[in-house]
Amino acid sequence: MNVPGAGCWHCGDTLPPDPPQALVAGAPHPVCCQGCRAAVEWIDQLGLSDYYRLRSATPPRLADPARSRRSADVWQRPDLVRHVVRILADGRREALLSVDGIRCAACVWLIERSLAAVAGVQLVQVNGLAQRARIVWDEQRANLATILHALARIGYDALPLGAGALDDARRRESNAAMKRLAVAGFGAMQAMMYASALYLGAIETMDPAARELMRWLGLLVATPVVFYSAQPFFQGAWRALRARTLGVDVPVALAIALIFGASVAQALRGAGEVYFDSVSMFVFFLLAGRYLTMRARHRAGDLADALARLAPAYAERYLADGSLERVGASELAPGDRVHVAQGMRIPADGVLVGAACRVDEALLSGESAPLRRRCGDALVGGSMVVEGPAILRVERVGADTALAGIAALVARAQSTRPRLARAGEQAAAGFVARVLALAALCAIGWSFVDPARAFAATLAVLVVSCPCAFALAVPAAITRALALLASMRVFVVRPDAVEQLARASHAVFDKTGTLTDTRLELIAIDAAGDRDQALALAAALARGSRHPVAQALVRAAAGLAVRHADSIRSVDGGGLAGVVGKRSYRLGSPAFVLAAGQADDDAVILADDSGVIAIFRLSERLRSGASEAVDALRAGGIEVEIVSGDAASKVAAAARRLGITQWRARQSASAKLERLHELHAGGAQVLVVGDGVNDAPLLAGADVSVALASGAELARASGDVILDADCLNTLPEARLIARQTMAVLRQNQRWALTYNLTVVPFAALGLVPPWLAALGMSVSSLAVVLNALRIGRRTAPQPAGVLTAAEPGQVA
Amino acid sequence: MNSLVVLIPLSIVVLIGAGIAFFWAVENEQFEDMDTPRLLPLTDDPPPNENEQP
Repeated sequence: MNVPGAGCWHCGDTLPPDPPQALVAGAPHPVCCQGCRAAVEWIDQLGLSDYYRLRSATPPRLADPARSRRSADVWQRPDLVRHVVRILADGRREALLSVDGIRCAACVWLIERSLAAVAGVQLVQVNGLAQRARIVWDEQRANLATILHALARIGYDALPLGAGALDDARRRESNAAMKRLAVAGFGAMQAMMYASALYLGAIETMDPAARELMRWLGLLVATPVVFYSAQPFFQGAWRALRARTLGVDVPVALAIALIFGASVAQALRGAGEVYFDSVSMFVFFLLAGRYLTMRARHRAGDLADALARLAPAYAERYLADGSLERVGASELAPGDRVHVAQGMRIPADGVLVGAACRVDEALLSGESAPLRRRCGDALVGGSMVVEGPAILRVERVGADTALAGIAALVARAQSTRPRLARAGEQAAAGFVARVLALAALCAIGWSFVDPARAFAATLAVLVVSCPCAFALAVPAAITRALALLASMRVFVVRPDAVEQLARASHAVFDKTGTLTDTRLELIAIDAAGDRDQALALAAALARGSRHPVAQALVRAAAGLAVRHADSIRSVDGGGLAGVVGKRSYRLGSPAFVLAAGQADDDAVILADDSGVIAIFRLSERLRSGASEAVDALRAGGIEVEIVSGDAASKVAAAARRLGITQWRARQSASAKLERLHELHAGGAQVLVVGDGVNDAPLLAGADVSVALASGAELARASGDVILDADCLNTLPEARLIARQTMAVLRQNQRWALTYNLTVVPFAALGLVPPWLAALGMSVSSLAVVLNALRIGRRTAPQPAGVLTAAEPGQVA
Repeated sequence: MNSLVVLIPLSIVVLIGAGIAFFWAVENEQFEDMDTPRLLPLTDDPPPNENEQP
């Protein structure tokens, strides 16, 4: 998978000029940093270098190894470990880790193998989907810190999750769902087999005894499906009824009970049609849809996990004598002085009391450029110190922090989300009501005419009008759509998101991290002389700096011969100065380089003593597929706007490049939510696409929200749909599928309704011969299932691309 | 008809067996990791796992 020369052998990042070399089986490979080099060589020593052959995605760039080691060391403190480690009955220890950076199956393999090589580790179970690892070890020979060390050495940052997570509700839920699905699947297949015999027997001649046998067999296999597999529906319906509401589960449970009950009555009577196959299929399809959304939900993670990840687990607090002690972040109190090393997250809200630093608040505020903070400025917990260290006085902790405020906003937005009655739910509820009314009418009518036939006629109405076609119409289409979207790496967390996606009239995008990458790219060079030479000079000066502009210049100069620069001096908020080949140069903002403020503030200037050599223009890189996605959405009649927390100039630039006229800048999380309410007040159906923590309330309040899998966990946990692909292109494709699904769904419902309305009166009067009823029934259910399979087929010419990856045959 | 009397109960016994096997597999975490096993045949020599217990 590695293309030699394309980038770092380990993480695929751009190589610096003159990269370090890592030795794998004696052969050197270029890597981007010493951290990657250590990881590569360690993996090779463990005999696991197969990883590089097997992987299909590159891991994220390595964190600073010294920092990972420090954060692993904290877990040697028994008072912290107590909360995250469970002691098993036989004295062994167990912990659940949330592991960052699992990208593909090879990562899972690598983690399992390298941890198994740690002395004392007895069980390693990695769930790549949930990014979790369960570890059991012998405390005599290993401890949590050594395990985290081992993970850090191969480049994975891990965080132990609270002991509460160890009960692992997720695993139990997933196991129970799998078992229910299997029982429903087996039952449906068998019931279908016996039903086909009955259907065929109705056309040919069939021994009445055999017919009787088939009915009882159908009952035998459908019973576990209804009483075991369908349990969640009955439980949900019961909960809803006790809360005096009508959820989705009530009509579903009623329909299952009606079809099954009526069929049992028929079997007992020994006459008429039985629908054990339909009821099993109905349950199977519903469970399959639920299983898919459950897996998407597990992938999305939950709010509690997301918060745990954002705020660091521990802090370095100053003692009275000026030395540092490590404490859990939860132990901090207002007034504490805390040291935050470069590359670490700030543990609580506070005020900077030490030297100036630079912090990255991109995930919290949407601000793309790292911000300079001086003594006395406020620092927000959860943001990262990019250039430090920072010393802060803690002001607010726990529930009072800005981060916790955003989480509360998410919870509130979720609870006030405008809930439209779902089409499927509405139809099912109406259907059940109509059938019950019809059956009641029939019973009353016949009891006047001929009481002896009242029961049989009522039963006929119930049975004929609870057909597979109607039961299958909605679940088959939705399940097909979910599977198709999942194969495009679009994971639907909430099933009605499909419907909302099809109905959206407005799309609100976040900018930083959603439409644009946080990294800068060089877009133009204005130079008097040779551009490459100017760029190489700039890169020589910029090479040692961690400033994003400097890093962008170095990346742009990859492949050029970059000379060595001496006596480099960096000026805060200005730029860099240094000597290359005996001439001194300055690189930075116009104010710094030319010692005079100019309007053209975004430009970066390279100058020597005789004047300007080149002007570099940098801009944020648009995410791949961003402009195609925006164009496609607009072509689909959706109004697109950007609501960003970033500075106006940057938002305007991105909007211009994408051709978006509506944009808002400097929006806080609550301002974003207000904009959403405005749109709702105007009757809009809003689709929100975002990735940051500050987008989470907006995502939670939207009609349908799309979160990027690469974004903050808090955003993922509040999204209805998770885009896992790195490319925004899948969004318009997903919308197309959603629209197709809704069209098919409506066709299916109309067809089932027409069929039933035509047949029920005749059935009630006993005018339909059994063979015709059977034939009509199977043709009708076949029709809706085949119609559902049309979803995802290209009917009209579509933009080529993503759908080819999701041919029907590949859908699991 | 006679064959049905034998074959249908037989098929149901097989079905129950398959169900029990599936339940066992789920309980014993056979579905826990769906990613790595497909890579195993591609690796050269698995390193010794003397630590691992079943």
